[in-house]
Amino acid sequence: MQTRMYRSFQGLLLLGLCIFFAFKAANGQLTWYINSRFIPLTIFGIIFLAVLAQVVFTEIKRSRQHELEAGHDHDHDHAPAPVNLWFMLVPLLIGVLIPARPLTSSAFSTKGLNTNTPLVSADSSVQVFETDSEKRNILDWVKLFNLEENTSQFVGQKASVIGFVYFDESLGEDQFFVSRFVVSCCAADAFALAIPVEWHGTSDLKQDSWVLVKGTIESITLNDKVAPLIVADSVIDAPIPSQPYLFP
Amino acid sequence: MTPAGFFTWLWDRLNVFATVFLGIFVEAVPYLLLGTLASGLVEVFLDRDQMSRWISGRPIAAAVSGAFMGMIFPVCECGVVPLTRRLFHKGLPLSAGISFLLAAPVLNPIVILSTAAAFGWGQMLFWRIGLSLLIAIVTGLIFSVEKEAGNVLRPSLTLSNEHIHANPESENSFPGKIREALLITADEFFEMGRYLVFGSVLAAALQTFISQSALLTIGSGPVLSVLVMLGLAVLLSICSTVDAFVALGFVGTFSFGSVLSFLVFGPMVDIKSVLMYLQVFKRRSVFYIVAIPFMMSLLSGLVFNYLFP
Repeated sequence: MQTRMYRSFQGLLLLGLCIFFAFKAANGQLTWYINSRFIPLTIFGIIFLAVLAQVVFTEIKRSRQHELEAGHDHDHDHAPAPVNLWFMLVPLLIGVLIPARPLTSSAFSTKGLNTNTPLVSADSSVQVFETDSEKRNILDWVKLFNLEENTSQFVGQKASVIGFVYFDESLGEDQFFVSRFVVSCCAADAFALAIPVEWHGTSDLKQDSWVLVKGTIESITLNDKVAPLIVADSVIDAPIPSQPYLFP
Repeated sequence: MTPAGFFTWLWDRLNVFATVFLGIFVEAVPYLLLGTLASGLVEVFLDRDQMSRWISGRPIAAAVSGAFMGMIFPVCECGVVPLTRRLFHKGLPLSAGISFLLAAPVLNPIVILSTAAAFGWGQMLFWRIGLSLLIAIVTGLIFSVEKEAGNVLRPSLTLSNEHIHANPESENSFPGKIREALLITADEFFEMGRYLVFGSVLAAALQTFISQSALLTIGSGPVLSVLVMLGLAVLLSICSTVDAFVALGFVGTFSFGSVLSFLVFGPMVDIKSVLMYLQVFKRRSVFYIVAIPFMMSLLSGLVFNYLFP
């Protein structure tokens, strides 16, 4: 009997995890947690969890039949300690009880904020170079300024980037950061990239709100390094992108 | 701080915690499933005689072959622990098991390819593989001094107790064997998953309250930079199959030696893997399994920092 209780709980938890992941995959929230390139792996996980749940449920049925045939309750099974099962409730509870939200500027206090990054594999710069200046995202711009010796060639180019608003004391009154998190693997390694924006309507903006910034690139020196700055022509509210992080 | 302000702050922290926790968890679950599946298949399809035929009893040969076994079993640090435990159960020599445990998360095709994708087929890849091999084999050899496996492993793994799998009645038909393997997989997924959950909670909590940016700013200088990268490897607890891409972000800020030590030490020791090690080894052994790679990674980082600054 005890083994069957254990198996039932185990089967339910496997199914629960499977449904939880499948739900996240279906509504596109997986990219709030992991880099999109690992989604196929999670899909495999979902299928495998379903298979395991099926195997466990069949086992329950089999053991009941076995018992009926034998005519008595013989519990010779050595199921592992039930305490193991309770732990798997933790991710389910965290996932269900705490409303899902991609990382916001509140993570800056521990994760920091970068205005330049060495995060490049050398060959990718060429692609960035070729993309139309208005198609480059925050990561592309920061990469370019970090890679190229001669950054003056970018001054005056048109830029159009999406990101969330972050106010910082290091900036002037009419300035804010437009920023995105960059995730290589999962949210644990996320780091924020930001480009300062000069915009006369800065005081009307709200921290963490998503905006589309259009303007012209300027070059400035931040923390002793050359970095891009956008002199904005327009800053309008934008919906959260379906993939809130950038994947290098 | 006003009470309302405090609650907003707390709520924000909680959100960061939940996102980081689920990030690590969602990323790791498929790998843990693959590892426990491998373990289930080994339990059902590999018998003790085969094992003793394949793996030599001599310490050096066993440690070296253990270190290369990762090429056959491509597992990362979450999957390698249940698999190693199962192989011990099947009579794998201590030295081979320990060098497998430490080397497999780097010395497997998936990790080699992802490191090459991030750093190219160059120095970083070469030294990552070389040093991981060296550390794994040395640690394995040190453990081969211990002739009594019972002094190193937890009691449930020694020969006297055969009941570490759920279903003692063995089946002979192929579907029956697969079913048995999957049941073992399901049990072990929870057994090891417990430590994955606990480790991810701990890592996410540390990340929510300890400032990485502060850690990075103190991390200059040839000694401190290696220590900071080793600490970060433990703190981040990311999977070895992808850590190369994360390490790429530190190139430029950090010296070659410190990034290398991150790439060598991270797959061997992090919060969740240490918790899982405690399931397999006695506490004293876990101490050595952590301390020996730590000292050796630190040493290699320092050597590189001083020789090629």
